[in-house]
Amino acid sequence: MKKIFCVLVAIVLFAGPGCAEEPLSKMYSTIYDPGKLKPIDSELRVKVGDPAPDFALTSVAGDVVRLSDYKGRTNVVLSFIPAAWTPVCSGQWPGYNIARTEFEKNNAILLGISVDNIPTLYAWTEQMGELWFPVLSDFFPHGAVAQKYGVLRSDGTAERALIYINKKGIISAIHVSDINIRPPLEDIFQELQKFSES
Amino acid sequence: MKTKYVPAVLTLLFFVGFVFFVLNETAQAEEAMPEVTLTLPENEKHIEYLGIKGSPGETFSITDIDTDILLIELFSMYCPYCQAEAPLINEFYELASVQEKEQGIRIKVIGLGASNTQFEVDHFRDTYDVPFPLFPDKDLSMYKKFGGEGTPGFIGSLYKQGEKPVIVLRQSGGFQTAEGFLALLLQRAGYQ
Repeated sequence: MKKIFCVLVAIVLFAGPGCAEEPLSKMYSTIYDPGKLKPIDSELRVKVGDPAPDFALTSVAGDVVRLSDYKGRTNVVLSFIPAAWTPVCSGQWPGYNIARTEFEKNNAILLGISVDNIPTLYAWTEQMGELWFPVLSDFFPHGAVAQKYGVLRSDGTAERALIYINKKGIISAIHVSDINIRPPLEDIFQELQKFSES
Repeated sequence: MKTKYVPAVLTLLFFVGFVFFVLNETAQAEEAMPEVTLTLPENEKHIEYLGIKGSPGETFSITDIDTDILLIELFSMYCPYCQAEAPLINEFYELASVQEKEQGIRIKVIGLGASNTQFEVDHFRDTYDVPFPLFPDKDLSMYKKFGGEGTPGFIGSLYKQGEKPVIVLRQSGGFQTAEGFLALLLQRAGYQ
């Protein structure tokens, strides 16, 4: 009995897995899935051809960003996202983060806007790597800028919206997407190229 | 049975159970490669790399890729972790090429862009100078067939002549070093 036991123990010890699995990434463990939402839940208050309503919001970096500061200098793309720590949003800005060249080629700046507060946005955007564009907090008064543009949803989040503003401060295009779907990059590139064409 | 043997028997049962667990895990790792159809890329060098006879735009089965081992990267252009991992996977590709020259084991790499359009996949490739073929998987159909669990993820498959390829490695999340991951893949495929 003793001999058999020793042999079995030896077999098990030397026939075990030879190499431990590499550590798994925990990247999705902190993302909250709200499920499928009503595609669009607001009414636009601006239209193409309107002067873009001005605003001043604090960025995650701590400075105040004023839309009118860009007037006459550069084209602007406002990217409203619904909320931090949600699935589609968590992938949207990292995608834009590797599209900087296209923005610069078309003399455009991107301003990311969320209704979340600064500490939340700081923690959330830290995991995206170093973003080249300002991320602005539209937290207090809650969603005031989103409301001005008509992209504040009834639950206090914002639409997934892209608003293109030319150097003259005029809205040249508005894309409000289904909140559940990320707008394709090619659509943004096409719209950016129109800045250079006009 | 004398009571003095009880601890020994319990220990024995534990080890036997452990052996069955390990064997079961190994068996599960060797699942058949799912049927996936891809479209031949525009880049002729990539078609040559895949070892498929055909023209850009024609479809082919993933099981027809001419290789000994296939590593599939499940990625997304929008995933910051995939972006950070891109240079490491390029390094893996280079190491695999060196390994092929030295040891003759062919390891091919392809990427499937989860929820990405062709444009987005091309943008990722151009941004990171990805040397291996990338395919869009806009509707996530391939990602689901491979049982993806987030990006980046990796599926390693063993291709044996005359047999259906089998999956030998699944990894959810990135890897730490190209050398370590290559060794792991070769080991799982039974080459080391």
